[in-house]
Order: sequence, then C-alpha cells, then structure tokens
Amino acid sequence: MTGSLTRSTRAAVAAKAAAAALCLVLGAGHASAADPEPAKSQACTACHGPGGRSSDPGVPSLAGQPKQFIETQLVMFREGNRKNAAMSPFAAGLTNAELRELAGYFSAQSPAPPGRTVTAEVVATAKRLTELNNCTSCHGPALLGQQHIPRLAGQQAEYLRVQLRGFKASTRFDMDGQMTSAAQALTAGDIDLLADYLASLGGP
Amino acid sequence: MNIDKKFAAIAAACSMAFATCAVAQAPAPAAAPPAWKQGMSEDQAKSPLHPFAPHLTGRPAKELPLDKLKVPAGFKVEVWADGVPEARSMALGDKGTVFVSNRNLSNVYAIVDKGASREVKTILKGMKAPNGVAFDKGTLYVAERHRITRYDGIEDKLDNPGEGKVVIDNLDPTNQPGHFWKFLAVGPDGKLYFNIGSPQNITMPTYNEAAIMRVDPKTGDLENFAQGVRNTVGIAFHPVTKAVWFTDHGRDWLGHDMPSDELNVATRKGEHFGFPYCHQGDFLDPVYGKNRSCSEFKPPVLKLGAHIAPLGLRFYTGSMFPASYKNTMLIAQHGSWNRDPKQGYNVVHVSVDAKGVAKSEPFLDGFLENDKGDPPMWGRPVDVLQLKDGSVLVSDDFNGIIYRVSYAKK
Repeated sequence: MTGSLTRSTRAAVAAKAAAAALCLVLGAGHASAADPEPAKSQACTACHGPGGRSSDPGVPSLAGQPKQFIETQLVMFREGNRKNAAMSPFAAGLTNAELRELAGYFSAQSPAPPGRTVTAEVVATAKRLTELNNCTSCHGPALLGQQHIPRLAGQQAEYLRVQLRGFKASTRFDMDGQMTSAAQALTAGDIDLLADYLASLGGP
Repeated sequence: MNIDKKFAAIAAACSMAFATCAVAQAPAPAAAPPAWKQGMSEDQAKSPLHPFAPHLTGRPAKELPLDKLKVPAGFKVEVWADGVPEARSMALGDKGTVFVSNRNLSNVYAIVDKGASREVKTILKGMKAPNGVAFDKGTLYVAERHRITRYDGIEDKLDNPGEGKVVIDNLDPTNQPGHFWKFLAVGPDGKLYFNIGSPQNITMPTYNEAAIMRVDPKTGDLENFAQGVRNTVGIAFHPVTKAVWFTDHGRDWLGHDMPSDELNVATRKGEHFGFPYCHQGDFLDPVYGKNRSCSEFKPPVLKLGAHIAPLGLRFYTGSMFPASYKNTMLIAQHGSWNRDPKQGYNVVHVSVDAKGVAKSEPFLDGFLENDKGDPPMWGRPVDVLQLKDGSVLVSDDFNGIIYRVSYAKK
C-alpha cells in the first residue's frame, strides 16, 4: 500500500514538474522558482482567481498580499477564530507547512490592475478618511500592507465593504481589536466611499 | 472645542441628568484610537511606529540566521525545539515536561524531551489568550485573559488532560483590547501571582487594574498585592529573600528615550509603583502627574531602557553556569516598537550587589538585525526557564522556537 502511494506521489510530482517546465517555456507561469505553485493552491484559485487575482467583487484578491498576513488569516480560519462557510472547512485541513507554502506563493504573485475607477471627488474625500481614521499608519502610506497587515490597494470593493461593516458591528474576528476600534467612527457612507476608493488604487 | 473637552462635557451632562442624555442624539464620536495608539500627541498622529505581530505558523529553525546569535564566552546556544507556534511563557513540570503558552493563538503545549529530539504536544486548545502558565506540586495552572484554571496530575495525562477546574473567574469583565494577557507565577506562599494590566496605554486605572493580584488556589481568595504597575509580564521570587521581583512596561508616546521600562521589587503587600502618575521612579506623567510627586511611589531597582519590553524574569539557581550567576536574574526583552532606533530583542543578565545597586550585561544577543528596519529583528525572546541540569531555555514567539543556553567550563 505504502509502495503504491509512493509511486503515485512520484508520478504526480513528475507530472507537475513537466507542467511547470512547460509553463516556463511558454512564459505562461507567474510563479518564481522560489515559490512554485503548491498543489493545494487550485482549491484557492477556484474562487480567488488565477494567481489569486480575484474578479469576483465579494472575494478578496490574494496576489501581492504580505505573506505573514495570508498565514495569519489562514491560521485564524483553521483555529475557528475567523469564520466563513467556504474558508473554514478548507483551512481546517491545512498544516502549518502547507499554509506557509500557500502564503509564500500568493504573496509572490503580481496583483491585477485595479478593477474600478472613481471620481476625483471620491478620491479627495476618501483619501482624507484614510488619514483621519489612521488607515495609513498601519496599512502603509500607499495602503500596500506590511507584515501581518493586509494590502488594501486594488482589493475587491464589495469584500472591503463587508469586512468594514463587520468590524463596525463587532462581528468580524479581530486579532487585537484595532480594526473594530478604528471602524466605530465610520458611517455607512464612509464605508462605501472607502471601499470604492481602495478598490481603485494601484501599486506595485 | 477639542474632542476630549467635548467628551468631558457630554460625560458631565450625562452624570447630572443621564435620562435626558440617553434621549438626546449626541454627534457620532470620533473613533477611539486603538489601545496602542492611545496617548499619542497630535504631532505623533502620522507616526509610522507600530507593534509587530508574530508568525503564527512558526518558522522552521533551518530558515533562520541562527549563526547571528551571541552568548558570553564559554556558553553555547542551540535550538531546543521548533514547531511551537507563538511560544510565550514557559513552566517546568516535576517530571521534566516543559509547558509553553500562547497569547494570540489559543493553545498550551507540552514539550517532552526525548533525548536527541523533543516531542511537541498541543494539550489544551480553544483558550482565550492563555499567556500564563505555572507549575506547582503536580498541577499546571493556566491564566487566560478572564480566568485561571488548574490541571491536577497533568504530567500523567498529557494526552488527555480533561477539563480544568476553575480557580478564579471574571478577571476580564470588559473584554476590551489593551493589556489583557496575564503572566502567572506561584509564590513561596503557594499563592498565584498575576498581572491585570492597564486597559490602555495611559489612562486612569481602576483599583484592580494596573496591578499585581494574587489568589490562593485553596480558597479562591483574591488580593490586590501591588498597584501602579502598568503591565508586568515577568514575576519571580528571590530564592533567598523571597521578595517579589517583576518587570514593568512604561507608557508609550513620550518620545524615543522616555520613559524607561522597569525592574522592580516588592517586599510587602500594598506598595504602589507609580503608574499612571510617575514613570521610571523620577518622571512625572505630563497629564496624570500634575499635583503629584514621585516620592509618593516606590522607584524601580533598575531602569532597563525605553520601550525595551522586558518580559520573562527568572532567578538562576542552577550549578551549570559560573558561580557569579547564582541567584542573579535573566530577563528576556521582547524589544521596542515605540522608538527609533529600535533596541532590546535580547536576554540580559542582571545582578544586584550588597548595596542594592543593579547592573545589566548582555546574555543572549543577535536577534536585532537592523535597528532602523521594519521589522528590525528576526526573533523575539519572551521567557526564560531553567532546566534541572542548570541549562536555560529561551522562548521566541516571533518564530515559535525554543533555544537552549548551556555552559561548559573550558
């Protein structure tokens, strides 16, 4: 039994290596040599899009998110602190090593260009909101995220809206309480403006 | 009208006629700042300084620059266990089990030494910030944010520890962000000593906040042992005098060099160590220090450094290290975030001479890579634990690794 498993695993590895080589030749692969596409990433990309570039307004992009942020969220889904019908069962079966591998892969992918444009008026008002509400002091001046803090630039608007509403209502899991606290001052209108503005931001 | 004054006016109006106030629609208040930003001045509002979070999956030791670690001549440092995600406080069982806690995660681990390797078991899950672990007479005590529980005979049932018995509950009625995690130590009196931290960076604490509490596990009787302690995450009892030594974190947002974090000693119940009125024994708080004097409070034995974040504190009582280490302290310093450049991220050796003068020297260094970096370090010491052979373990929550420092006479 063990022998046949090993053989089939070897075959799968060989097939994957061949596919990877083909991708390199065709120039179709985005993954760097340091972060080959993990087998379990297919379950992720089914919803989060190829390379973690989501085209579903309610599903977040993973491409270009800080590695530590993705790791942290997957741990929180696995431990049952953060809950989601799609994510919780998927994360429940991940080991720390698999989770690190997935996080490394998606953080190395280049994000898609922003999928939304907003008026200059929205930009001016929302930019001021990000400063007034301390968004930039943790998420960074260009809102690209850092360490365990997510990139907001270019994120899907509907996803951002749902998270911010959840933080304001104190129903969204929050590791240290900072976002719940920060969201209290936002009105429903502020949240809409911020979500649209953040979704329109580009960046490296 | 600034926001504080507006709040004060609303609060005053409420206290005079709360019925009216409940009906009146006050304008929506601005966001309360996150707990760690509370107390910033206006010109600090755009500060890029921020706390650091650990890698919650842990990182394999082989991916880390372990060759950068430095210990004094004759000492050796090695990885004792990895794969202990967010390793925080440690406690040693009578049979050699090392219990390790979490703060952001929700587990308590038991590490069993198998000679050439260590087996890491997750023995308790789903706990609320179980930062405090202590062992006494066969029992493991665990301090979560809201309660302390006991697991009797734990070393004989690591694979099935069962439900803990509650020693004391309702220690965290507000469930707010702030210094909610607890350090736990068993005193020579058999009582459990733990902190209830300041709820914010710098606000007026209630009687049972910014305090060291103690509870008798036999009776559940709770006492306030020391006040004016902003947040201690390291409490130890002198092996000879039995005095209570503890580290304390000073407030943030008063500049890169002020105030210093503290090493304190309490010799009796009821002493006050200054917070929020006086910091580092000689520096009045710009807000709460008005009309107060530092002479009202007990000063620290040693100023450890601004924002350096001293955590685990243990006395060395073994015979492996040189005789000069006997009954002196090792203090794990988690490292600064609220200053530039960064400092700490090390373990220091602190000894106190016959006149009571304390001095600190490096013991384990090398985690701080770039004092201007973000993050500046690749590892963060949390706690220190002496093993039976006299070697010392150091936990690192950033990587989920436990190091062992030993000494071999040359």
